[in-house]
Amino acid sequence: MRRRLPAVVSVPGVAGVLVVLPFILSSYHTFLAAEVGVFFVAVLGLNILTGYTGQISIGHGAFMAIGGYTTAVMSRDHHTNLILTILVAFAICFVVGLLFGLPALRLSGAYLALATFALAISVPQLPLQWSRYLGGSGGVQSPETKGNVWIYGAAWSVSAVLFLLAWLILRGRVGRAFRAVRDSEIAAVASGVEIGVYKTLAFGISAAYCGAAGALFVIASNGFAQPDQFNVALSLQLLIGAAVAGLGSLWGILAGAAFVGLLPNISPSVPIIGSEQGRDVVYGLLVVLVMLVLPGGLAGLPARLRSLRRGLNRKSKPVKLRGSSSQ
Amino acid sequence: MSINRKKLGALLGVVAIGIAVASTAGAASQGSPGVTKNSITIGGTFPLSGPASLYATIAGAEQAYYGYVNAHGGVNGRKINDIVLDDQYNPSKTIVKVKQLVENDHVFAVVGGLGTAPGLATWNYLNNKGVPQVLLATGDAYWGTCTATGSAFTPKPYCSKPKPWTMGWQPDYPGEAKLYAKYILTNKKTPHIGILYQNDAYGQNYLDAFNKALGSHTGDVVDAEPYNFTDSSTVVSAHVQALAAHGANTVVIFATPAASIAALATITGIKAATHGAFSPLTLLNNVSANRVFLIAAQGAHANVNNVVSTTYIKSQSATPKDSAMILAKKIINATGNAGLQQQFAAGDNNLIYGLASAWTFVDALKHAGATPTRSSLMKALRNLNETGANRNPFVFPGMDVKTSSTRTFPMEQLQFEQWKGQTNACNPNTEVNCGDWRKLGVVLNSGS
Repeated sequence: MRRRLPAVVSVPGVAGVLVVLPFILSSYHTFLAAEVGVFFVAVLGLNILTGYTGQISIGHGAFMAIGGYTTAVMSRDHHTNLILTILVAFAICFVVGLLFGLPALRLSGAYLALATFALAISVPQLPLQWSRYLGGSGGVQSPETKGNVWIYGAAWSVSAVLFLLAWLILRGRVGRAFRAVRDSEIAAVASGVEIGVYKTLAFGISAAYCGAAGALFVIASNGFAQPDQFNVALSLQLLIGAAVAGLGSLWGILAGAAFVGLLPNISPSVPIIGSEQGRDVVYGLLVVLVMLVLPGGLAGLPARLRSLRRGLNRKSKPVKLRGSSSQ
Repeated sequence: MSINRKKLGALLGVVAIGIAVASTAGAASQGSPGVTKNSITIGGTFPLSGPASLYATIAGAEQAYYGYVNAHGGVNGRKINDIVLDDQYNPSKTIVKVKQLVENDHVFAVVGGLGTAPGLATWNYLNNKGVPQVLLATGDAYWGTCTATGSAFTPKPYCSKPKPWTMGWQPDYPGEAKLYAKYILTNKKTPHIGILYQNDAYGQNYLDAFNKALGSHTGDVVDAEPYNFTDSSTVVSAHVQALAAHGANTVVIFATPAASIAALATITGIKAATHGAFSPLTLLNNVSANRVFLIAAQGAHANVNNVVSTTYIKSQSATPKDSAMILAKKIINATGNAGLQQQFAAGDNNLIYGLASAWTFVDALKHAGATPTRSSLMKALRNLNETGANRNPFVFPGMDVKTSSTRTFPMEQLQFEQWKGQTNACNPNTEVNCGDWRKLGVVLNSGS
């Protein structure tokens, strides 16, 4: 990530736009923008795992479920302040993520992906097993429902705080270690990086982010948590978001979050992607395309085009892409 | 330079999606939302795709009926515009789509939304906003038990506040389950009951009421097997085998179509394997008893002869000469939708369900005053009286659609029926006698 945007320009710019948006958009579109904020948090978190550490997870919807149920249950049983429940969801998912990361650190690549897939399938079953506390398939309804602007504010404030936190974590030693694990585990060990520790840590952090996103997701769902909301498709959506985001720049993650947050809500009058079926096909094709052509994600597109053009113009060897790795 | 392009690429993507989203233009109006001088806009969410899309024809039939009413001048000069959105039976999608209907499309009411979990996911929101959530296409007890206001309201685990804007339409599942329990106790000498139920609020609703109705005979239940909505037919089969292993001679199925088809095929399979030793009396809940599902089960080598179920709407295949069924055919044909026409010919009863439910909505709208408001619509729906000359033509003969301050479920009657037909695969489009439901006994009261 040497070619990162000058944060002095882009971050205040994006923040400025986000502050103004609710004054311009209609209430419903503010809500859609809030949904993007929810997915921003989740994609940002998953990106720390997939983009920086090179581990694939197709189960992070499970952490959104844990975070979401934390919010719904705390609010239902104790009328806890919703903002506080986001913090608790973050903390719980950090711990659960670390615990899951312990055995998972023995796995990598496709094996880790399969283990996380199991997580995506099993966690939404828990409310059905413990229906007395978790409401079964009838779901858990928080007594508090918030308006669209409130949800928007919460989603993007949490986004801002967690973006800052990610930046602080990733800019220094930890971030370097993550990338070392991604680029070559052997080289990382040789350089004195404790692979197990950093893989587990990355898993914990990404789980915590998805936990906070899950809490926001439930708040955006009028305080309602139900197992079907956190199905495998949600986990896959997050992965698609992370794939679109590529190697986490702010813009990449914004694009990834907008992609998964907005695409399902496109007007049915738009051809092909307006229908659920057409959308599923587009999802699939895009992921294949992103994986094949753009290992750096959508955010890597300009660089990729540049390198192609350079190759055509000067007949020289294409420049090796940044982030074209992850096993 | 490079930075700007990168920025631009991502930004363009976001903007493109944003524009596409924004193209769902909303129409603001004065007075009641969704009501203008010559139109009323309503909306609903249905699984138009995904595993529950077998129900999509309900939405098609409702739109067909509104089209028919519009062609005949609408209601009080207003044409009904019905926006149907696909939620894939996924509550988190329902939440967003319902928000879209209310806040972006400014619908007058959310009518006919399908599914228990989708309904539960949105009833808080709609009741807080005071938007009618009516004629829900689900028979759970929720839709009639939380409507009382003031001191008459008793909080339940699933509703801490009253839900005066919510209302169902079809007979409730607990009432149906109760009738099955009675049927078994009257018709089976020493019943050993095995139950297959969907492991969610829907299946639990049936199961609890069934057990309650058995009363002192709950010991007759030898096994109750839960399956999940997303389970494959192999998993469902294994559950049915477990019922047989527990020695069931009566099987009760509280399922949704895909699972019930697998279960019926498995019962036939075990029967053949045990040379008829396992030959249970089979009861099928009416959600799964649509004729097309039974024909599909026959296609999966199930012998569904003598399966028992219930109904509350007319059948276009069993009574094609009925004047309402002739009208139904005309309405469906008028849509020019080949898919709907084909389903109608195959005997898809959900089409009649959709027509009947839309008939009730139009009936309520007629009684909601010259310029309907959301509260006048609710008042009309809480005082339905589809009896006598105002009888809903699409519901089963002799059944009333009625509500009052003490009666919160519009339909409280059921008719038992039994399947008679050939025992192997049959194509209803080319073969005349593929089997159908036959009336069994008289119309019964399913109310509590």
